[in-house]
Amino acid sequence: MDYVIQTSGLTKKLKGKTIISDINLHVKKGEIYGFLGRNGTGKTTIMKMLTGITTPTSGEVLLFNQKLTEETKTVLKRVGSVIEYPIFYEHLTAIENMKLHGEYLGFYDEKEINDALDMVQLKDTEDKTVKDFSLGMKQRLGIARAIVMKPELIILDEPTNGLDPIGIKDIRNLILMLNREYGITFLLSSHILGEMEQVVDRVGVINNGKLLNEVTLADIRKKRTEYIELMTPNMEKALYLLESNFQISNFKMVTNNRIRIYDLTHSQKTISKMLILHDVEIEEIQKHTSSLEDYFYEQVNGGGKLD
Amino acid sequence: MANLIKLILLEGKKLKRHIIIGEVIIYWIALMFLPLLFIKQVSADFGNSFTTVMELNKAIQTGLILFGASLINQVFIDEYKNKTISLAYSYPINRKQLFTAKILFIALLVFLVTIISYTLTAVSTYLIDQVHPFIMGEFNPDDILLYFKDMIIRSFQITVISFIPLYFLGIWKRLTIPTVLCAILIMQLLNFAPMLNLNLDLLIVLLFLLGGLSIILSIFKVKKVGEI
Repeated sequence: MDYVIQTSGLTKKLKGKTIISDINLHVKKGEIYGFLGRNGTGKTTIMKMLTGITTPTSGEVLLFNQKLTEETKTVLKRVGSVIEYPIFYEHLTAIENMKLHGEYLGFYDEKEINDALDMVQLKDTEDKTVKDFSLGMKQRLGIARAIVMKPELIILDEPTNGLDPIGIKDIRNLILMLNREYGITFLLSSHILGEMEQVVDRVGVINNGKLLNEVTLADIRKKRTEYIELMTPNMEKALYLLESNFQISNFKMVTNNRIRIYDLTHSQKTISKMLILHDVEIEEIQKHTSSLEDYFYEQVNGGGKLD
Repeated sequence: MANLIKLILLEGKKLKRHIIIGEVIIYWIALMFLPLLFIKQVSADFGNSFTTVMELNKAIQTGLILFGASLINQVFIDEYKNKTISLAYSYPINRKQLFTAKILFIALLVFLVTIISYTLTAVSTYLIDQVHPFIMGEFNPDDILLYFKDMIIRSFQITVISFIPLYFLGIWKRLTIPTVLCAILIMQLLNFAPMLNLNLDLLIVLLFLLGGLSIILSIFKVKKVGEI
């Protein structure tokens, strides 16, 4: 298998505390891979280890089948990244920052720099120092810097942070375009799961510094289940009626006033009608399809919402 | 080597140049007139001969150790504080090479600024003396050679000594004010050594070795201490 990123037993300890434990990550060439995980679960630390910003306590990172060490950092020429939040020399202008980046990578093409700035709609900000940029502008400039060399791998940590809805859509389209037209592999993290669902091919779920699972979005979709969610204060009566009238036994009690009915032999409308006729108060009834969000909650097993 | 030179030049591009240029101009102007001020206001003995003025100038130029501390702040500590060091770490450059370039950049700048400061002080002191004589004795052309020799040696000593705070306060602890205070302490120690009955030459050797040790540790311990 042609992997762009591979890690084995990647572990990071800080002050004796293990924050990343035994990560075995596999990112294939040409795919868009999404990191899912709550805030503080270690996504950024893993990304920092993948880009040489911080060194692992144990385990190894392979980029393009080459082990990343201080001596082999030249492999990072093939990687563009924005980790944690976009960092710049704030007293310099956007174009000066881009040029500096190019010089560190041994690349200098003013046209490419202008094209990258154009792609993220920052072309008319040449004379403005970065300290006067909004967070959204810095985010876009960070992405421009990551893509300017059209690297083979781009790692973006929360790339839509600070962007307005139009900006989010633009970045999503840009990622898809770069992936399709240039075959660039992406590793993304985001806490907006709906956003990730629209872009990624495969996800890795991180919880408490551990990689729980790697799965393609297509596989998640195959496993998708539909259910009717019912909220009622008369739970016992509702359950009795569902079993006796409709022979429904495939359901799950989520809380003491909320159930999920997986047996869809009867429609939402029929169930509502039957319960109302038997004086069962219905606070809410709705048909759902399990999403990436549901998959994520199921994986982390906590049931809590993302921050 | 070419890569190292490129990295040194890039350090210059990242610098807040207007701040450094302003600082250097203030140092040069202040140090230019200090010999006159010391002879007129502190002790006329400093002006007994051109040789005594040269000794006085040696002490005056140690002020540039503070300039070294200021550069440590901009080139190292600010990079950690603004997190731009993580950007530098993400480039295909090994950390030892990156830190070597940073150290050489500071060293070259401190050395160059000290040499120019020495020259400016010498020229201004000589010219003022020509207009309003305040140095006794005659100017001996041999003094020029001695002055140049002193200038090179002293500038090199100042450059290396200015790195004393780098390893512990700059890279490990990343503390701005203690780095400056450490530089002031070293300057004062050098200037007050005769009053404290310390052997000045021995003290300079010790401080020089400490500065060298700080440089070596900064480069070779970067993987551990330079970690974000």
